[in-house]
Amino acid sequence: MATNSAGVEYEAVSEPYVETENSVDNRKDVSDRLLKIHNVTSNRFWQFAALTGLMFALGIIGFILKVASGFDDKDVWGYYVAVFAFLMTTTAAAPMVAIAPRIANAHWRRPISRAAELWTVAGCLNLVLYIPLIWLLPSLENGRRSLWFYGQQASKDQFWTGFESVPAYSPHIWATLAIVSLVVLGLALVWLSCLPDFAVLRDQGTGWRQKWGRRLSLGWIGTTRQWNWQYHRMGIVSAFYFMMLIFVHFFISVEFLMVHVPGWIDSLYPITHAHNALQAGVATMMLTIFCLRQFGGYKDYIGLDQFWGLGKLLLALSLLWFWFWFSSFNLFWYAKKPSELSLLELLISGPYKIMFIAEFLLVFIIPWFSMIWNPVRRSVWGPAVIAVSVLLGTLLDRIRLYVASWDAASRDFVSMLEMEMHEVPEKIVTPAIADIFLIVGFIGGSIFIFMLASRLIPVMNIWEQKEFLLYKAEAQYHRAKVLVLGKPR
Amino acid sequence: MAKKSVLGLYTEEDSAADALDNLRDAGFEEGEYELLTGTPYPEGTFGEAEPEHHLFRWPLIGAACGFTGGLIITAGTQMAYPLITGGKPILSIPPMAIIMYEGTMLGAIIFTIIGIIFESRLPRLFMGAYSEKITEGHIGVTVTTEEGRTGVAEEALKKAGAEGDIIRGWE
Amino acid sequence: MQEHTQLSQKQINDELLRDILTVPKWWLPAVVGLGILVATGLGAFSYMVYHGVGVTGLNRPVFWGFFIANFVFWIGISHAGIMISAILRLTQAEWRRPVTRAAEVMTVFSLIAALHTPLFHVGRPWRVLYWIFPYDFDRGIWPNIRSPFVWDPSAVGTYLIASSLFVFVCLLPDIAILRDRAKGLFVKRIYAFLCLGFRGTPRQWRLQTVAGILLSALVLPVFVSVHSIVSWDFAVLIGVEGWHSTIFAPYFIIGAIHSGVSAVAMLMALAVWLYKLDNYIKPDHFDAIARLLIVVATTWFFFFFLEWVYALYTLDSPEIALRELQAFQWPYGPLFAIFVILSFVIPVPIWLFKRFRRSAKIMFWTTILVNIGMWLERFLIIIPGLVRRTHMTFDWGTYHPSLVEILIVVETFAFVALGMLLFAKVLPLIPLFDVKEGMVFRHLIKVGRKTVPASIREGLPHHYYEKKH
Repeated sequence: MATNSAGVEYEAVSEPYVETENSVDNRKDVSDRLLKIHNVTSNRFWQFAALTGLMFALGIIGFILKVASGFDDKDVWGYYVAVFAFLMTTTAAAPMVAIAPRIANAHWRRPISRAAELWTVAGCLNLVLYIPLIWLLPSLENGRRSLWFYGQQASKDQFWTGFESVPAYSPHIWATLAIVSLVVLGLALVWLSCLPDFAVLRDQGTGWRQKWGRRLSLGWIGTTRQWNWQYHRMGIVSAFYFMMLIFVHFFISVEFLMVHVPGWIDSLYPITHAHNALQAGVATMMLTIFCLRQFGGYKDYIGLDQFWGLGKLLLALSLLWFWFWFSSFNLFWYAKKPSELSLLELLISGPYKIMFIAEFLLVFIIPWFSMIWNPVRRSVWGPAVIAVSVLLGTLLDRIRLYVASWDAASRDFVSMLEMEMHEVPEKIVTPAIADIFLIVGFIGGSIFIFMLASRLIPVMNIWEQKEFLLYKAEAQYHRAKVLVLGKPR
Repeated sequence: MAKKSVLGLYTEEDSAADALDNLRDAGFEEGEYELLTGTPYPEGTFGEAEPEHHLFRWPLIGAACGFTGGLIITAGTQMAYPLITGGKPILSIPPMAIIMYEGTMLGAIIFTIIGIIFESRLPRLFMGAYSEKITEGHIGVTVTTEEGRTGVAEEALKKAGAEGDIIRGWE
Repeated sequence: MQEHTQLSQKQINDELLRDILTVPKWWLPAVVGLGILVATGLGAFSYMVYHGVGVTGLNRPVFWGFFIANFVFWIGISHAGIMISAILRLTQAEWRRPVTRAAEVMTVFSLIAALHTPLFHVGRPWRVLYWIFPYDFDRGIWPNIRSPFVWDPSAVGTYLIASSLFVFVCLLPDIAILRDRAKGLFVKRIYAFLCLGFRGTPRQWRLQTVAGILLSALVLPVFVSVHSIVSWDFAVLIGVEGWHSTIFAPYFIIGAIHSGVSAVAMLMALAVWLYKLDNYIKPDHFDAIARLLIVVATTWFFFFFLEWVYALYTLDSPEIALRELQAFQWPYGPLFAIFVILSFVIPVPIWLFKRFRRSAKIMFWTTILVNIGMWLERFLIIIPGLVRRTHMTFDWGTYHPSLVEILIVVETFAFVALGMLLFAKVLPLIPLFDVKEGMVFRHLIKVGRKTVPASIREGLPHHYYEKKH
């Protein structure tokens, strides 16, 4: 008998216990089977890796051609920045698919969290792509608009006059710091998450994999203290990764996009950019797990639950895409400010109209109106096809925005302080051969790096799979067979 | 012939499931017997058939109606009194889209609510054989059948260990 | 949830319906007190109708004052219901069970409260009837569909109808319990009529479950649209500095969630104190809602930061002058400081500590602070924007709320509290069937010496797949 605060006595009813399949044999079975898949590298893998490697080589050629063309002509660089932004929107955002459901304690993430984290390795490529951009970023000396409160034309008696002492190269410093931090945090995240799995490689692996595991597991032996720290460390690094991702998108969208277009003042855009990243990150992961399931041998692990979980996320994010877009568009359209109307002409109704319509279909109409049907979400092929649609749409979006804005930047830099674009470009900047090489090459290069990394690091999280054994039970509830899932912490 | 209903009450889930088995064995068909509980149970706890419903059609029909309504209000109002304000076209899509969207959602939600009530087979005017103990945790198994077969049903319910007397009601 | 009290269905009925079937001592004085406040507010409104809107502090150039700030505030609070119940339902968070109903009911009452002030604000509210559908074309009334003020009633109306119906459908099983428990024949008849003859067949339960998810998914986009539209009342305008900002829709929504979820935490504390519901609302629930609040508050602060950064980024001198007025000049400067401190600086660091998160008392007071801060936020968006000093010096003016406005604002608060108290007197504020379902689905898993709470999960696609094949 117990009493509640009202002083009423009540009888506590007992709760039923269920048995899980957790045992030494089953835990061993998980690592044995996953290691077995990890150790095998099929011919098809090498063929595809060779293809992406070849694409990567093209990318390097494109990169060299681009750098050789110099940094003075802004409009030549539009496609380059678009590829960079596209990779930051897909590969850099994919780890969020591991981070967010892990915080929400959703069990369906377990088979896909490592693959999501592994995309951070491709961040190294983003870092390389970023280097020439340092030279392209206009400094504050020209008196351009900036977030860094320099060269403001406001009167002297206003409160932020003190900020004028900010160095002219502060955007360059901040951007570099942000992008380097993001890549470092990403690598730290994947390494931390791998520590227990490296120990598995060390103990159960053979040959070079064993050596690799010994080096990188840092003496992980799985003490309680180590496990407690594992959860804390991963929590902190994940939180910082998320914040840094938002900051980087905030940064890219302002410094590489908005400052180049006179009159583009859209306080929502950094959020929209980050949101596009989440949407494309989910699509990236859908496609990744589809490949892992169909070609990677993980058919028993990646099931409908995973596609379903991601499908629901993508459905919500697609609807949000429309909302973010409409929130900006409606204001510009309704207010009829000349500066904003010319912005709409540049980005939506002008030369990039067809690209915008295609993108609208690919990232909103197609995903939303197909994912709304449960049978599509509950399938393997449906989400994969829609992921391709979203990724294509996002690529078009990046090309549309970045190419247009760098084209505008090359026209009249001085008019930016007037905050109105007097002359909207009439034609799309056509991609040069180097641009095509860059687009194909760096997308292929990211996949290439991911594939290579997946040979070194188990692409399925072994310890999270073992942990799942503790919390999952198939039980008989009277006449029904039910699945019981535990919620630790 | 008038239909009658009988109700057996059980304290254990397994006895209620047994009662359903007994009824099936006695030749009662799906739809003649029903389970009454005070709380949702996991599907199939009593070995009962999964109820089929078409709830998902309702919001679609409602959305279509609401969308049409929104279109008529917005476009119709503007066409009825075509006056240009703020340099915006008579049929301005962004503001119209907002009202049409609200109309669509309103239609979808109202139809869903009607759908839920209809698909739940509500409102139910007569309770038939019912006991207030059900909302207190007892599990009821009720059989609605021709007057002549109630005896068989009562026996099947008792055999599974119904608590107390069998409750009788009419439909 | 580690802490949990497993109870029998009868026990749940007894505890949760106790204050409906009997009258608690404090109930009548509270209702009378609040009733007096509501009556005073309505009296002030009658006075305003008789003497005209001149009795308010509204003047040129500040045509929107307390009324509109209060409208935005209550629309914000109304977002709590859907935020809590829909999102948590869709993500199948177990801790939602005892708090959904109270949040949804608060949505309904705060939406009605929100509708009070703009209706009062127009001075002669009955004339509003002319531009509510069906339009009175015969009298040459021409509603401008392109005006944002037509978006408002369509959105708020949709949201009010949707959330009321949502509450009603989810109430059916609980009204059925009341029908079985009520003593008087007349009362029993009323409950019997309201529950539409609900009996608890598997079909009815199945539809309740599906309805919860389907309606959540349908109401969520409405909830997003409502506050977006309220924000566009301001943001589509270019005449007032500080309003024409594209971030307004998300910024208003996240602000609404911040104040709304805070209000739900406050309600939870009140439920524990007034209705002794500590068997249902545990420190773990406060912990969960406080964690949610940390995320919401931080996101809100980021949006707030962006709104400011972009205002300064324009280098537009009227815009910058407005920001100075908002943040540094009397009387708005101190209010601004209070707003930032109350809605972010004080509560968020407190919520970082688990000990404070689990305390009903601390959560109650911090969430009250948040709501004071968030009310001021709305005030600071609207009034300084209108007070701005243009080139026309004859148009310089400021705004002081009159007693009438203050009384009407107080009335809205009293109205919501009164509504909640009256509701709780006739219908349960905690969904009984949802709590019971949680107890039926609850299991325990033993991992070594530790017991981990677990729950039966239904509707996963692999089940569906297995059934089909």
